[in-house]
Amino acid sequence: MTIEAPGTTAHLESLVNVATGELDRRIFSDEEIFELEMQHIFGRAWLFLCHETQIPKKGDFFEAPMGKDNVLVVRQRDRSIKALLNTCTHRGNAVCRAEEGNVRNFMCTYHGWTFGLDGELVGVPGMSDFYRDELDRTKHPLRKVAQLDNYKGFIFATMDPQAPPLLEFLGRTGRIAIDLLAERGDIEARPGVQKFTLNCNWKFTADNAFDYYHPQITHISAQAVGMIPSADVNDTGGAKTDEGKALGVQRLPTDLDTLVALGEYGHAISGPSLDSMLRTLPPEMHELVTWRRNPGPLAALGPVGSRFAGHPHLFPTAWFTMDAQISLRVPRSAGVTEVWWFSFKDRNESPEEQKAQLGRQIHSFGPAGFLEQEDGENWSQSTAQTRGGASRDIPQLLKMGLGRGKIIHEDGVARIEAPVNEHAQLWTYLSWLAWVKGTSWDELRSATTPGDYI
Amino acid sequence: MATAHLETTIAPEKIAAMYLQYEVEQFYTHEAALLDHQRFEEWVDLFTDDTAYFMPIRRTVPRRNLSREFTQPGEMAFFDDDKATLVGRVQKLGTGTAWAEDPPSRTRHLVTNVRIIEDLGTELTVETCFHLYRTRLKSEIDEWIGRREDVLRRTEEGFRIARRDIYLDQTVLLSQNLSNFF
Repeated sequence: MTIEAPGTTAHLESLVNVATGELDRRIFSDEEIFELEMQHIFGRAWLFLCHETQIPKKGDFFEAPMGKDNVLVVRQRDRSIKALLNTCTHRGNAVCRAEEGNVRNFMCTYHGWTFGLDGELVGVPGMSDFYRDELDRTKHPLRKVAQLDNYKGFIFATMDPQAPPLLEFLGRTGRIAIDLLAERGDIEARPGVQKFTLNCNWKFTADNAFDYYHPQITHISAQAVGMIPSADVNDTGGAKTDEGKALGVQRLPTDLDTLVALGEYGHAISGPSLDSMLRTLPPEMHELVTWRRNPGPLAALGPVGSRFAGHPHLFPTAWFTMDAQISLRVPRSAGVTEVWWFSFKDRNESPEEQKAQLGRQIHSFGPAGFLEQEDGENWSQSTAQTRGGASRDIPQLLKMGLGRGKIIHEDGVARIEAPVNEHAQLWTYLSWLAWVKGTSWDELRSATTPGDYI
Repeated sequence: MATAHLETTIAPEKIAAMYLQYEVEQFYTHEAALLDHQRFEEWVDLFTDDTAYFMPIRRTVPRRNLSREFTQPGEMAFFDDDKATLVGRVQKLGTGTAWAEDPPSRTRHLVTNVRIIEDLGTELTVETCFHLYRTRLKSEIDEWIGRREDVLRRTEEGFRIARRDIYLDQTVLLSQNLSNFF
């Protein structure tokens, strides 16, 4: 086995083998690779910051992470939105220490340099006495992100001036991901972003969004108490507890009818088709998706997009759920990731519907969610075992459906129809490799444009 | 002689207040013991059928925005449970397949600073501070310190919790989950 020099293209290419569906576990714990990710992925990609309804009034701000940078998303006096780096241009101190709130300006508590909502330096104590009026205030505003854009109220930014426009970055698949939330109605962010900390690599959280193989085991207890529907099909496949008892594993009723979309730059959707989802939901739950038959959503989603009911995930870290939430995964180090849950409601829905949805949002996901309680330890333990000298040499497997992913191109969407599979996870890592190599935007787009098979 | 001394120097209402304080503290000690001994079915019986169990999200905000520090009922939260949901959580732990708590966490609920804020006869408002210490697996430690505000209802079986609001002293939670009760 050849060991390539760390960080070189040849080394990185040796870490992801799409043909065999095997990954090198070092990608989950190597700090050098994490730094490459910070530079080439989080320093370049369009990243979700927040929703415009989180900052409705002038002076409202929300602090969002972009890689290791902290960005203040600020509502301006003219109602527009700017995103400013939360670091004083004098000595670097954070000019704002709150997660969210409302201000008239940002004053650095170190020396008092004061910046307007637009980031302009408007106050410097001792300007004439100490600086003798020789400091050019116009040269030292709070720095802005390279590009900022808003897709249907969802605010994104990139630190790369060369990045393609947001709409192109999202592509058809990325836009469908957001439309599945934005087109529900008159969308408003609910106050309160749940934030919690996992001792895992961020990529475990990202690829898990596509993993419809794990609920039947990881979330079996939630299934047992009726939080998720189960099929009559009992398919233990030999799963036994450590005392030798066969687990009553019931696969999800939708598992034989799933729909995958693979998008440019690494976006993807994976999970049940809407038809199969409807077959398993009790009739009284069907109204949860009636909005999708309205003309607006139908036109935005298109004939193919309208069929998805799985988990859309914008590369690198934004998962949009089917119940109006976004799970943003925030990498802090190779082994630490924060999860931030943004939750939404449709202002047109009745108070009863809004309340019922709030209950589903709180009780499904988040740290106390019936489902997500169980996820963190899988990922933290998986991350921990990538640090063992012998354990890390065992490849990470993504072989389910390997080579069987026939891609159908229709309405601008590259889709696969198959039983539960690992195509979207493999697509994530294929794209990750293209990103982390630091190739040009053209090469990146070309490497992440779906062909006829995966 | 000591008894006579008490009777002459401590007013009966003070004795009653001390006894009430004792009863309330005994209730919380009992509750904590049920949790730390994993007797969750008995624990959930301490809640009334119309209970509300609520843990808002806390945010770092400027001092003048302190009214927005905690989310309110009707907004996002970590827990916003009725009795059926709480019972569901207990049932989930009892399935034998709730992996977040299997192997079980080792917990210690320390309840202190018990203050009876208001006594309306049928119901009391009581504030307590807590320190929940959890260890998991080989070497994981999580700690949550915070404040609870309970409405305790007097019933024939003793106190029952008719409402619990839990205010954590963390904004970004430092733990991978909240798979325990507060």
